[in-house]
Amino acid sequence: MGRAAHIASVFTRRFASGVVRSRLGTSPTARAELARQTRLAFEELGPGFVKLGQLVSVRPDIFGADLVFEMAKLRDSAPPMALEAVERQITRSLGGGPDRVFASFDPEPIASASVAQVHTATLREDYRPVWGDVLPGGAKLAVKVLREDAARLMAEDLAAAGALLGALRRVGLLRGSGADALLEESARSLASETDLRNEGRSADRFAFDFRDDPLVFAPRVVWPLSGPAVLSMEHVEGWPVCVPDAAARAGVDSRRLAIHGAHAFMRQVLELGRFHADLHPANVFVTPDGRISYLDFGIVGELSRDEREAVAEVLAGIVYGDADRALRHSARLGVVVPPHKVPKLTRDVAALMERTMGSGGRDVRHFGIGLLRLLSSSGVAVPVGYGLLVKALVTVEGVARSVHPDVDIVETAKPFVTALLARRALEPARVLERLPDAIDAAIRVLADAGQAS
Amino acid sequence: MTPEEFVRALAAWALVHEVADDGWKAAVARGSDSAAGAGPGPESFVDVLSALVAREKERLKAEIGSEPGGDGAGMGPGQEAIRFEIAELRGRIEALQASVDALASRGQAES
Repeated sequence: MGRAAHIASVFTRRFASGVVRSRLGTSPTARAELARQTRLAFEELGPGFVKLGQLVSVRPDIFGADLVFEMAKLRDSAPPMALEAVERQITRSLGGGPDRVFASFDPEPIASASVAQVHTATLREDYRPVWGDVLPGGAKLAVKVLREDAARLMAEDLAAAGALLGALRRVGLLRGSGADALLEESARSLASETDLRNEGRSADRFAFDFRDDPLVFAPRVVWPLSGPAVLSMEHVEGWPVCVPDAAARAGVDSRRLAIHGAHAFMRQVLELGRFHADLHPANVFVTPDGRISYLDFGIVGELSRDEREAVAEVLAGIVYGDADRALRHSARLGVVVPPHKVPKLTRDVAALMERTMGSGGRDVRHFGIGLLRLLSSSGVAVPVGYGLLVKALVTVEGVARSVHPDVDIVETAKPFVTALLARRALEPARVLERLPDAIDAAIRVLADAGQAS
Repeated sequence: MTPEEFVRALAAWALVHEVADDGWKAAVARGSDSAAGAGPGPESFVDVLSALVAREKERLKAEIGSEPGGDGAGMGPGQEAIRFEIAELRGRIEALQASVDALASRGQAES
């Protein structure tokens, strides 16, 4: 059977199964089941589709929320490539085989995925990284090696996938006409991900951004042992956050780390304007000394200062149940609601806030998915950055709660929101405008305190 | 004077007058607890300003208390950023050097 016929047969079988299991309904449960079957089909079809699925999972602006969150569960694993192929890639990239460029090299991979696989090795001599302490000779490394045929295989599968996007649109899992945009995005992403140096640079930037945080770090990159097809980084000992029991057994305070991890994410979004946009429980490690390491910097979101302020305003709207404020400032992030739709959408978002963020406890996941659904059903286009951000917030809450269930990520956002908006309030023109009233208020505050004491 | 400089100046003042009165401490607590400029009134403005100044004061205290030495210690944020950009450039050159060496050794092997 040819590849195209195989792809068609897998999808037909999976969709048939989805339709039967969901009893031909169009309810949220039926949509979720169809999304699950689509994810299983993508897993079954291998590397090219896994990559496409990963791209779907970071484009809530194009795809329905059910499919986006289902695709985030894709397991990216593939049979390991032969050792000879690994040696060829290392020799081609670094001018010598693994035995020559590393002090030692383990031929057994520790992870094997669609684009690359990872081996451990030992550093031959001391290396001063772009940021952080010197890595001593003998340090353990994680060496990521790109599959020899990764680019070609994925390009072929992505081409075959183009036709399938039309089918997804027909069954309601794909909105609008964003398929072409997705394929263009896929080609760009393919070019970026098949040059591992991009990932290394993002890791360096992250290490620099968090240089003042002793609890958060990124592995140090060894640049003389890296190239487009090989990335040598410090090996991080520890456990992925998705297995919190292991960290707890080692005496790590998981609740403190979960709160700090959420705090670190808010800092990325609201203070630094660069955030890890492909967070996954397997991409965040807890180390035996109680620190958090982010791994896999394939997708990084960026926000300008104005966008960060708008995000802060939207978050303030969410915290205070102020749907009007949240929607008004969403417009600054590109979510443009036609005037005649504003009253109804505001009422709907307020009701959603009451259900998911009210006195019964905050549930960012249901709020985020609900918000994207409301915008979609109102015919409001969601820009890619906004969608990525909502999804990242939902994922961070999921990761933090998988470590400790009572973490409230909205609470962790408060200090950043306060600082960001207060800074804006302190711009000279605004200060001049508000100064007389503020002086009166300050005198009142101090006088009240004096009387009370 | 930029907003950051204004806050830093207030923070320096607060650091020197470390024993703050209860009114200011209460404003800091309220400001830290509010999500930000949420209220339009002048009291809210004073609260968030107090919280911002308190945070900057703690940052100043940490800066003053830290010993020189180590990675980037004793440098201003601007100097650190320049140092990072240069180091980042060094990383790029080292990776390029590895690729050039690999090409050269491939050429030697083929000839």
